[in-house]
Amino acid sequence: MSPKTVSYEQVVGISACLALALLAHLGTLPVWVLVTVAVSGGIRAARARRGRAAPPRAVRLAVDALAIALLFLQFRTFNGLSAGTALLALTAGLKLLETDTQRDIYVITLIIYFLSVSALLEGESFWLLAYLIGVCWLTTATLLRLTSTLPAPDWRRSLRYAGRILGQALPLALVFWLFFPRFAGPLWHMPDDGSTAGSGLSDTMSPGDITELALSEEIAFRVRFATAPPPPQERYWRGPVLHDFDGRTWRRTNSFLNAAPALQLQGPAYRYTLSLEPHQHNWIFALDWPSHWDLPRGSLTGDYTLIQPDPVSRPIDVEATSYTRVQSSEPLSMLGRRRDTKLPSNRNPRTVRLAQTLRGAHPDDMDYVRTVLELFTQQPFYYTLTPPKLADNSVDAFLFDTKRGFCGHYASAFATLMRAAGIPARVVTGYQGGTFNRFADYWILRQSDAHAWTEIWIDGRGWLRIDPTSAIAPSRVEHGLSDAASTDGRLVSRWQRRTPWLADTRLRLDALRQLWRERILLFDQDSQQKMLEWLNIPEPDGQKLVMVLTAALTLVFGWLTWAVRREINPARQEPLIRAYSRLCAKLAAAGMPRRAHEGAEDYAARVAQGRPDLGPAVIALCRHYSMLRYAAAPARLTVGQFDAAVRAFRPDAARKRVRERT
Amino acid sequence: MGTLRQAAIGKLRAWAARRHGRDSLPITINRRRVYILPTRFGIMLALMLTAMLVAGLNYNSNLGLAFSFLMMSIALVTMHHCNRNLLGLQVDVTTEADAFAGGEASFEFVLRNESSVDRRDVEIRCMAAAGISSVPARSDESVRVAIPVPRRGVVRVDQFELRTRYPFGWFHAWTYVQAALTAYVAPAPVGNRTLPAAGGVGSAARSETRGDEDFAGLRAYEPGVPLKHMAWKVLARGGEAAVRSYTSLAAQPEWLEWSSLEGQDTETRLSQLCLWVLESEAAQRVFGLRVPGKEIPPARGAAHRFACLRALAMYGIAEPR
Repeated sequence: MSPKTVSYEQVVGISACLALALLAHLGTLPVWVLVTVAVSGGIRAARARRGRAAPPRAVRLAVDALAIALLFLQFRTFNGLSAGTALLALTAGLKLLETDTQRDIYVITLIIYFLSVSALLEGESFWLLAYLIGVCWLTTATLLRLTSTLPAPDWRRSLRYAGRILGQALPLALVFWLFFPRFAGPLWHMPDDGSTAGSGLSDTMSPGDITELALSEEIAFRVRFATAPPPPQERYWRGPVLHDFDGRTWRRTNSFLNAAPALQLQGPAYRYTLSLEPHQHNWIFALDWPSHWDLPRGSLTGDYTLIQPDPVSRPIDVEATSYTRVQSSEPLSMLGRRRDTKLPSNRNPRTVRLAQTLRGAHPDDMDYVRTVLELFTQQPFYYTLTPPKLADNSVDAFLFDTKRGFCGHYASAFATLMRAAGIPARVVTGYQGGTFNRFADYWILRQSDAHAWTEIWIDGRGWLRIDPTSAIAPSRVEHGLSDAASTDGRLVSRWQRRTPWLADTRLRLDALRQLWRERILLFDQDSQQKMLEWLNIPEPDGQKLVMVLTAALTLVFGWLTWAVRREINPARQEPLIRAYSRLCAKLAAAGMPRRAHEGAEDYAARVAQGRPDLGPAVIALCRHYSMLRYAAAPARLTVGQFDAAVRAFRPDAARKRVRERT
Repeated sequence: MGTLRQAAIGKLRAWAARRHGRDSLPITINRRRVYILPTRFGIMLALMLTAMLVAGLNYNSNLGLAFSFLMMSIALVTMHHCNRNLLGLQVDVTTEADAFAGGEASFEFVLRNESSVDRRDVEIRCMAAAGISSVPARSDESVRVAIPVPRRGVVRVDQFELRTRYPFGWFHAWTYVQAALTAYVAPAPVGNRTLPAAGGVGSAARSETRGDEDFAGLRAYEPGVPLKHMAWKVLARGGEAAVRSYTSLAAQPEWLEWSSLEGQDTETRLSQLCLWVLESEAAQRVFGLRVPGKEIPPARGAAHRFACLRALAMYGIAEPR
């Protein structure tokens, strides 16, 4: 077949499909790439409309070279998902510009398919998948019209045919998806794009940081407890622990205390599954003091933060066990003590002076802690999401002037007061509380649940959690942020509390999302193993999985062959012919097969001769058949009625009746 | 590369011929004789599907994998559909129209589709020529395949091919049918001599229009007789097919003689004779043909004309077995 030149309609059709596929990449692709694709598609369509071919070769080459160079300048590599996708999108756009023959369009359809996959590699939502399957359907229908040598079927029929193929492909795809062996880790590491910024908590904390998070309804993680959940005042999810303070910002140090100290675990153990959303940092928000976890490369820092070597860039599930009450009899190392009592010199002088005064009156550590907390409750401190801006001596300004702050302010001020009194203190960031989804029995932790608290070292007891926020706004800890700051008016979720059915709907939707996540997004080796166990296959392993895959594929292929060939079997076509064949089969079973040349009425006459008992019924049926099949005027009897009559017709029963009568 | 491909195709054709033996027309294409392979575009698709799969596995993305598997499945389903596009088709070759050297020998293929699905873009290939057609559900469609014939003689087709790339052009399904199709290629009808008068060389001129109307009696039917001469009433009474015979059928015949064209080379003579045959037939004359080694007694009608053209086509050429 000679390469056919493309028409205006074909250029427009394929450009539309490409545009729809690129829509899925809207947020991730550089804008100029999208613009380039749009412009080249527009130019090509305009030329095609006037019946002109693609622009001259020299122009195309120049544009190609320029675009590729720009792309390289932006990404510095063509490897990696973002750069690769951008390159692919650009190739499709430029290919569109130079589309002259159908072969060029074939290449573009392949790129559209691949762009869809690359959108899904990082995507997670059901809607994205559904949308891209829709795009695939449309592209396939377009391809059908493109590849037809003869005048293509109209759009509706093309879509229907492509849809039928898609429908027949679904069971096969499901089998592949369920039984195709998954690998535990990536085959090889792709370079990080660096363009994906972390979300949620970072490893520094300045006043006001967490305030921004408090307004975000984005989900950080979900937790399902296998045991009874801890009481609200003990639901602290540990993130980065901050040690270095410069008077304004708390930072995580390069941890020189690598090994996590041994702890005496007390109280109940909490077992739970943590479903973490990707946040591009390498910590995992385990409950308070984690003791066990099923993260292959997970480890604890010296601060008991659970971390893994790579950033969490995909949703993961972690099963873990934690305790909320621990003790440590080991002394704090000299280095550790020095680090956690260090304050920047010449910063926050009023706070330091206050601490020294109070410490003089309360030499006992716990006594001193109580006094400081009382200070927070007795003086007019307010818990607010809109604290005034603070200068460099942020703690001084907060404690003595503004007295309005968010959890970060309180944690920062409290830790400073502790350190100034010589008590080792550190700021812990993480999440606290959570919303219970009663429809699916799990807890949702949103960015608005982000929190900061402190831990102080008491000799003989170890690190002790003190949450100064709970002293000012106990409801923050008991009931969550929306309760504590409800006077604030800036909180988005406030109106949702007033309309409980809306909140319920939201929870139900989230339950669905979580189900999607558990069943689909996180389907892995373990899930496949469980599936094989459920299928009663002893000792499931990869080999057995492949065997099951082969068996299932054989079955589905058998079905597919049957389903595809069924349509070309002429005997199965019309219900009328089918019903008549059934009648003939019944009569054949009764010993009167129809001869190949016999028409319906001749046959009926012969049957009536050979089997007088069947005669009237067969003659009536055959006459109906002839009327339905050959009569020009519509018959009184419908095909459905004829079919029912044939089904009810029993040659043997008739004979029996005759025998009984005689 | 091209020659390697040609050699492979040649081997495959020979193998298919041995495997299926000779076919008698009409033939219904069954699944044992349909072969299928991906096209170049299909191979590109396969490479892309592999890349998709590897990407999905590498990123451990279940949605990416789901889409990759869906695309793979679509390709596999398409393979079935491409194969089905030929299955169950009935093929026959109806007429073998006249062919003249320098023109085309055309075969008229009839594709019959008894199923309820359309068969689109079915191509028939015969030697280097091809014809393409779509056959809607429960209908038939004819496809003319014209093979260019530069010289007179005989064109023998041992095998023809049905192929399709529908849908999507990812796969190429085809089947070989081993049926002997023969087309006789008459010499190009050219010449500058006028048609000899009836009665042959030397005989007295007599009226050519001696009345078709003079009914002379009935004779047995033979193929090629004009339909208007059929004795339909006899046939309708249940009798044997008969032809009304007219006096002009028995009229003095005209002879187209090889020997009357002396002084010209063989091909020129044959071309001139061919032209005469056509002219005589068009004028509804009764004529005979004499070429060295062959004499066709005077008659008229399509069968006679065909016999004459065939004699001219095969002059000096051994008859095929």
